[in-house]
Amino acid sequence: MSVSRKRVFDLMKTQCAVFNTTYNPQRLRLGSRILHSRLKGAAIASYYPPRIGTIAQLRKLYPEDDIIDEKEEDWIEHLNVAQSRGKGNPKKKRTAAESKKFTKRR
Amino acid sequence: MRDSYGAPSNHLPIPSSPPFSSPQAPPSTTIAIMSQFRAKKLDIGGYVNIRNIRDHTKRKVFAENEPERNALRYIIRNTTLPQRVRAQAQLELSKMHCYTRFTQVKNRCIMGGRGRGIFSDFRMGRFQFRLNALAGNLPGVKKASW
Repeated sequence: MSVSRKRVFDLMKTQCAVFNTTYNPQRLRLGSRILHSRLKGAAIASYYPPRIGTIAQLRKLYPEDDIIDEKEEDWIEHLNVAQSRGKGNPKKKRTAAESKKFTKRR
Repeated sequence: MRDSYGAPSNHLPIPSSPPFSSPQAPPSTTIAIMSQFRAKKLDIGGYVNIRNIRDHTKRKVFAENEPERNALRYIIRNTTLPQRVRAQAQLELSKMHCYTRFTQVKNRCIMGGRGRGIFSDFRMGRFQFRLNALAGNLPGVKKASW
C-alpha cells in the first residue's frame, strides 16, 4: 500500500511542529540552520582564566580590613630612601617655561 | 564589560560612496585600530603576554558581535529574501571589524602563552600539560604505565 503525497507532507508538518523546525517541503535554502545553532560566544570568551584575588579587589571586598600590599610598601620605602639621598625623580614641570631646561644652557 | 571597550564604529546601514569634493586627495583609507577593544585594565590571570591579551580581546569582541554576525549570515543564506537585501547584508558583514570574526580566535596556552601544540581540553601547551599533569594539578590525568 502506497502512502499518498499529501499524507507524507502532513506527517512532515506535524514533525516540524513537534520538533520545532521549519516546515519546508520545497527544500528552499532558508538559512534557518544559522538561527537554530547555539551561540558559542560566552564559551569562547571565557577561555582565559579571569584575574582574581588582586589587592584592589580584596580591598573592595573587605573595606573594614587593612590589607597590606607588600610590593607597594616596598616600593614606597625605596622611594623614601631615594628621596632622602637626593636621588628621587625630578619634580614634574607644570609650565612650558619650567621645562625649557636645555634652551637655557646654551 | 561593555564600557571597557568600544563597539566598532562605521556600521552604515546603506553603503555610501565618499563625496568627490577633492579629486586630487588620495582615497581615504580606514586604519584598523585594534587596541580600541582592549580592556583598560588587565583582566586575565594565568600567563600574560601581549598575544594572550590580544586573543582574549578578540574572543570578547567575537562574543559581543556574534548575534549581529549571525543575523547577517542568516540574511545572506536565505535565498527567499530579495537579492538586494542579501547583497547589502554581504557588504555589511564584510565591513565588520576583523576582530568580530571567529577565525581570528586561536587557542593559546594559559600557562605559557604558546600558540602551537595546545590540548584544547586542558587549554595548555604540550609541555605545560606534561609538567602540570606530573605535578598532579590536573584532576583525572595520570601517567600511563603498563
